Amino acid sequence: MTEEAILQGCLKNVATAQRELYNRYSPKMLAVCYRFAHNREDAEDMLQEGFIKVFSQIHTFQNKGAFEGWIRRIIVHTCINNLKKNKRFNESLDIVHAHGVQVREESVPSIVQAKQIVECIRILPIGYRTVLNLYAIEGYSHKEIADMLDIEESTSRSQYTRAKQMLEEILVRKKILTRPREKAEWLLAIR
Amino acid sequence: MKESNFYSDEFEQLIREKTEQYKMYPSENVWKGVHNSLHTKRKWFISSMAVLVTGILFFSGKELLGPSRSVSHKLAAAGPVSPDLLNADPTRSGQPEDNSHANFVRLHLAAPIAGSGRQPLNHLAITISHPVVSLPDLSELLSHAVQLPEEAPSLIESGGTAAIAMNKTENPGSEPGLLDSWLIRNAPDNSSAHRNAETAHNNNAESQATPNTRETAEVLPSRQTGRDAETDDVFVRGVIESLSAKGRQPIHTYGVIARNPSSRQSSVAGRIKDSAGVARASTAEIGEESDLSRVNWLHDYAVYSLPPSPSRSRLFFQLILAPTINYRDLSGGSLASAKELSGGVATPRPGDVQNWVDRTPAVGFEFGANILYRVTRNLTVKGGLQFNYSRYKMLAFTAAQSQSPPQTASASANNSNYWTAYGNRLLQDSVAAQQPIQGQNPNVPYNTVQATLYNDYYQLSAPLGFDLRILGNERLQFNIGATIQPSYLLNTDSYILSSDYTSYTKEPSAFRRWNLSGGVEAFLSYQSGPVRWQIGPEFRYQLFSTYLSGGTNPISENLKGYGIRLGITKPLP
Repeated sequence: MTEEAILQGCLKNVATAQRELYNRYSPKMLAVCYRFAHNREDAEDMLQEGFIKVFSQIHTFQNKGAFEGWIRRIIVHTCINNLKKNKRFNESLDIVHAHGVQVREESVPSIVQAKQIVECIRILPIGYRTVLNLYAIEGYSHKEIADMLDIEESTSRSQYTRAKQMLEEILVRKKILTRPREKAEWLLAIR
Repeated sequence: MKESNFYSDEFEQLIREKTEQYKMYPSENVWKGVHNSLHTKRKWFISSMAVLVTGILFFSGKELLGPSRSVSHKLAAAGPVSPDLLNADPTRSGQPEDNSHANFVRLHLAAPIAGSGRQPLNHLAITISHPVVSLPDLSELLSHAVQLPEEAPSLIESGGTAAIAMNKTENPGSEPGLLDSWLIRNAPDNSSAHRNAETAHNNNAESQATPNTRETAEVLPSRQTGRDAETDDVFVRGVIESLSAKGRQPIHTYGVIARNPSSRQSSVAGRIKDSAGVARASTAEIGEESDLSRVNWLHDYAVYSLPPSPSRSRLFFQLILAPTINYRDLSGGSLASAKELSGGVATPRPGDVQNWVDRTPAVGFEFGANILYRVTRNLTVKGGLQFNYSRYKMLAFTAAQSQSPPQTASASANNSNYWTAYGNRLLQDSVAAQQPIQGQNPNVPYNTVQATLYNDYYQLSAPLGFDLRILGNERLQFNIGATIQPSYLLNTDSYILSSDYTSYTKEPSAFRRWNLSGGVEAFLSYQSGPVRWQIGPEFRYQLFSTYLSGGTNPISENLKGYGIRLGITKPLP
């Protein structure tokens, strides 16, 4: 079933087209939700609510840009709204000043367990995690993040910096990434 | 240590790539939830509402339009009225036998109408009959009023009979009674007896008394009465033919006029007239006694056989319908600062949100049923179930068909293509200032068109409150009432205002399902039989915001409605 056919079927509220669209995009979208949620159950709730919005607002899709990107945007906003409703995203911890990890381009590992990194991201406090997800992974600007979360742009920047430092520290402690022993050499060990 | 942008970008790229590779497969329950929300929710909603409305209509129709169960139930339990019951001696009531009248009353089924074989409509006919009253009994009643000549009048012949019929026929004006006729024929023309007879005849002709009563008096010889012939007692047998509504059953009465040999004063005609009058009087008295016995019988029957009148019910069932005009109050939004479209166009702070949002009321309705309990004559408490439909319109702006909407942060964040008046103003200001809008050619003016959005709210509520009578009597009253209505919102697909006032969007998770409303009303009510009708204005206000507190939208919405409430109330058995 082509994407165009799926789109047309969903516009007509055809169940088979809706199921096809769901099957095609739900695995990736659930991973997106999982990065924002506390646990898998919350992630599935966000996914369900997000796809309901997708199908109810599918008539507003303007055929500009990728369909996946449009769905992803809805899912992300659903996750953000859910977090704001539960007042979770303002939590923060003491700043952990981690040394920056400098990686040489040629030392970037060819294989890194995606799940490990995702789990490390989920370890972060909800506020740091949200800004990190939106900026580093979803590609929103700090200005857009500030609008979505009703915070100042400077707050978004500082939250992201702290989030990245903390993530680096976690990755190092879990030996997914290693700090350079010398300034001249940069090694990356893969666990 | 400062981070290198290059390495920082690599780190971010690494994170991005790996997270994109990660996939998770949801459980089947997720799809079931999505599917049910899209396809069966509306069906169940419509089905449940149809069942609720049908149930209310059925139950209300059964209570309001059906016969009162209390009386029919008791009558049915009492069974059909049998002839034996009808003909039962009323003295079974426990009263001692009384020969004066109790034995003389009989009820029986009327004979079928001749020729038709049908029972008359009034199945009951009353026959009052009694044997000949013995002389001592009647003489006690009549002795003081009767004076008879020493000699029997000439018309009274021993060994023979002379019928003196006093007819009061159905057509009293047709012919004079026989007695009057005899008097008119035999008395001298100028005699008082003659005149009296004529007067009596004329009076009878004019009177409308008892057209169905026919009195016939016969003077019987003593040998027929078994009395001592030498006493020359005059027996007057009055036959009262009392007609029931349809049947004719004779009522035989017998009166004995005892002769008072001491009187010599009255003339023959006068005495005969007196006798006739006494006979008539005795007949009337007997008739009165018969009527009295009938009344007493009815009274006894009513006391001992008919069901007692039901006590006044305190429970009532009420059906209400109220067309309403619905509005909303918007408040809050003080935390929302002025948002600017990309390009840095300065805009004033919006201030009161109600000044920047166009909305107009629309028609809705309320429909439900209540159970009322009368605490006192003036105070009634009530509780029930009610369905509320509220609606209002909003003025919005959307892109003209030839253009695509600008990809602003606000619009993209809310995934909406509908702007408020404020949002549209910002948009136009930005275009006028020729500031570039992301994704929009600055050289092309941006056109928007007006659109009307509707917000529908379906609620189920359980009103609890009271009615207080202010003025009036049991038939016509003026009342006031108040209720508290816990309610549940059935749908969450209405448009909400974005936090920056610029656009309308749909956000089901932002709605508060459970809410509380307050209502006041005043009405006139009129009692017609067992049913009470009422009409009057009402006002309902939603106490809590439609939106959840602490959500993304700081704006609060409180629904309110004005309506005319119509109600029908009937007592419950």
